[in-house]
Amino acid sequence: MSNRIWVSWLTRWGIVLIVSLITLAPVIWVLSLSFKPPQEWLAYPPTLIPRQPTFENYLVLFWPGNPVGVVSEMVRTAEPVTRAFLNSLLIVPISTALSITIGFLAAYGISRFGAGGNFLPFSVLTTRMFPPIAFAVPLLVYYRSLGLIDTHLGLILMYTTFTLAFSLWMIKGFIDGVPRHIEEAAILDGASRWRVMFTITLPLIRGGLAAAALFVFIMNWTEFLFALVFTSRFAVTLPVQVSRYAGAVGRYYGPQAALGIVASIPVLVAGYLIQRYLVRAFTFGLVK
Amino acid sequence: MAREGQILIRLENITKEFNGTIAVRDLNLEIWEGEFLCFLGPSGCGKTTTLRMIAGLERPTRGEIYLRDQRITDWPPQRRNIGFMFQNYALFNHMSVYENLAFGLWVRRVPREEIERRVRSVAQALELEPVLHLRASRLDLSTMQRVALARILVIEPQVLLLDEPLNNFRPGLRELMRAELKRWQYQFGRTMVYVTHDQEEALTLGDRIVVMNAGHIEQVGTPDEVYQRPATLFVASFIGRPSMNLLPVEYRISEGRAFLVSPDFEIPVDERREIIEKSRSLPNLILGVRPEQLRIHDPQESSPPDLIRIPAQVDLVRPQGRKLILDVKTRSGALLQMVVPSIRRFVAGEQLEIAFYPHQILLFDPQTGKGLC
Amino acid sequence: MQRRMRWIQWLNDERWMGQLLILPMQLLIWFVLIIPMLIVIYLSLVSWQPIMGVDWWQAPFAGLRNYAQALQDQRFLTALGRTIGLVLVAVGMEFLLGLALAIFFHQQEFPGKRLFASIILYPMMLPWVVVGLCFYLLFLDKGPVNYILISLFGPGASVQWYQNPVLALMTIALADVWQWTPFMFLVIYSGLGALPPEPIEAAMTLGASRWQIFRYIVFPMLKPVLMIALIIRALEAFKIFDLVYIMTGGGPGTSTESLSLYLYRTGFVYGQLSYAAAMALLILILVAVIARLAVRPLEAELEAR
Repeated sequence: MSNRIWVSWLTRWGIVLIVSLITLAPVIWVLSLSFKPPQEWLAYPPTLIPRQPTFENYLVLFWPGNPVGVVSEMVRTAEPVTRAFLNSLLIVPISTALSITIGFLAAYGISRFGAGGNFLPFSVLTTRMFPPIAFAVPLLVYYRSLGLIDTHLGLILMYTTFTLAFSLWMIKGFIDGVPRHIEEAAILDGASRWRVMFTITLPLIRGGLAAAALFVFIMNWTEFLFALVFTSRFAVTLPVQVSRYAGAVGRYYGPQAALGIVASIPVLVAGYLIQRYLVRAFTFGLVK
Repeated sequence: MAREGQILIRLENITKEFNGTIAVRDLNLEIWEGEFLCFLGPSGCGKTTTLRMIAGLERPTRGEIYLRDQRITDWPPQRRNIGFMFQNYALFNHMSVYENLAFGLWVRRVPREEIERRVRSVAQALELEPVLHLRASRLDLSTMQRVALARILVIEPQVLLLDEPLNNFRPGLRELMRAELKRWQYQFGRTMVYVTHDQEEALTLGDRIVVMNAGHIEQVGTPDEVYQRPATLFVASFIGRPSMNLLPVEYRISEGRAFLVSPDFEIPVDERREIIEKSRSLPNLILGVRPEQLRIHDPQESSPPDLIRIPAQVDLVRPQGRKLILDVKTRSGALLQMVVPSIRRFVAGEQLEIAFYPHQILLFDPQTGKGLC
Repeated sequence: MQRRMRWIQWLNDERWMGQLLILPMQLLIWFVLIIPMLIVIYLSLVSWQPIMGVDWWQAPFAGLRNYAQALQDQRFLTALGRTIGLVLVAVGMEFLLGLALAIFFHQQEFPGKRLFASIILYPMMLPWVVVGLCFYLLFLDKGPVNYILISLFGPGASVQWYQNPVLALMTIALADVWQWTPFMFLVIYSGLGALPPEPIEAAMTLGASRWQIFRYIVFPMLKPVLMIALIIRALEAFKIFDLVYIMTGGGPGTSTESLSLYLYRTGFVYGQLSYAAAMALLILILVAVIARLAVRPLEAELEAR
């Protein structure tokens, strides 16, 4: 009897261990690589813990010509990633905020007023199916005429719109969950509909809005294709910078790894924050 | 019909704990072969939990379960050959009625011809032949109930466990289905354990009733026993509609004779002296008398000497078909309920004399709740 | 004073309020999505490249020539086939692994389950490019994967992952599986959690073994959820771009080029915008048709309930 229990205990923890390892391994490897000095990058056999850990790889990202160490010599000609980093920090939160705000307004309109009829959700759904390239081509043409290429505004507009469908869907779900009679009671008390929307409904779905915001943040932060096409110098975002850097510094794996880590931290933080909402968001959507 | 002496299932010192809450405590029970046993009690009393433990869907925290002297406490439900009927029937909605019925046999790899034979015979008995090919999700409620029942009958289990299966029915239909269930139990001769919170249902259906409260058994007995001789205050007040009248009384001895005294009356209780004096809560006791046992006495008429008469005033009149429920208030302010045939009309505020015989009353110990006599 | 009141009243009027609320969204959608859609259709029917020097609205009409060309384009067709294959393999694996994980998670209770869940879920949140970078670094000639292979199987086991198209595709598929299995897991796990427990308990009392219960009761009940998950993930996987771009750049040569990558190159590297437009629309039609076909059995399932 206890033998059986022992075996199942072992398999259970065995599975947990293996899966955790597989999931964590790639990132751990890159993390360790990012702290390795050049001589250890391709060291053979590869080691997990750097023998001479250094922060240089990180330093070099922002300050290529720094006088500190060896790495800087190699990547002296590369661009500092500061610009891309700041761009992402600027563009992503703004587009996220816009997406959530506009999404909230629209979701409220659709939920409580049936605005847009049947056309709106349908069109929203179909745009999800399009390969993004299909939009990139005309947008390029169109943006060029409008002078929006390589601008922050241009990118913000796109990011906001692309995530709008998602914001809408998620927030509408939350708004639908707020019983109408609460709002109606306030209206009977004399409040205007705008007031009701902002002072009653909004606070009630605060948690849902936060969750949606975090999801949208992740989606925007990791967006690559459009950033690649539409930016070249000024509005470059971090993901694009990662790929450029990889091309620019070729075999200098240390800084590349460091950049990868730097680019991931904000989303990891955001991801950690939405842990609890993940399951709920998915059951929400699927029940529909 | 119950064959006393043939024990099918025995529960010994069963305790069930959920996260620190004790759902069932030290329960001991014998279930007899062929009987229709009802578990009765309010929500949360542990009756469903106990049923699930018999089925194997829950494991007792402590205690043992025996099936014909075999210890099955650790057996998974699959092994026990017990039929369980759920409150919402839990049919396999994606399967046809036939497949639902055949499932139990099919998973045990019974040959196809035999499955066919057994399914058809049960379907015929429960009049399910017309719907055999239909998808289970398309049935109406009463048909679903029959399918759920048929599904268990097909596997010919040792005992059938039913968890409030009639909850979904509106009152008229509910009585009909009740009668059907009783008929089937008799017809198939199987042991049935039935859980309900409706005391009328339990009294109608059960050969024996197990009254439960807060995780333990208050009384086990036939409907008659439970009704006429409730073992505890809880049983007395739970069973019967309207519920039993309970009044606090004091036990006094005056001039060598024993009396039960209340602000409204005095009852001599010499015959029961011995039993009463065993109670540790003296002099306080609780007296119980059923609403049907109270009658209206015409003050003009003569009355037997032992009839206790109490002047009272009508408070509320509630018609109940051919009967009336009268709420009356005694001089001391105690509220009593009585049931009288609706021969005449009553008016609130009317003065009456109500009467009852002392041998009809029941006495309870206020601290332990136990019945004395 | 009067004017102001009327203005406020109008703002509050329900009929207008709804329209006003969706206005910003309408504007954006029209501006960024719908108008470009129209432009794409236009572009696909003309023959225009920026190099030509003329403005796009003056490009010469070309009818369906671009489409015909696309249908005969070997590179296009192979990219299409390759992408489909990639999707089938990757999503297939994600499905199986996700299913296994979800079942495991659903049935087992153990301390630290929450933590374990967090660990499993985070790959979904990483930027694709970072995932691509990670896996690229892992499969380098002198990287950890080869190291493990050599320690297990001897010196000859080292593989040059990026020289061989099939192997390179495998690494890409692996990266995708690593990143998106959590998604499948999440969806299926939620689905499992939403299942009513009673039919399962009923099956237990009727004598079914765990495997039988799963196969004949749980799985059929899960089908709609599974199908939705598969469709959503497949549609997304079809668009795969970031991973391919950063891991192999389509190479060696063009042997690992995904559909999106080829389109990107055609439009933005070679400048053949009209051609790219036509191909994009072709893909769109293809996806729409397949999605419609895939959804049909799903609707049938839901109907029957």
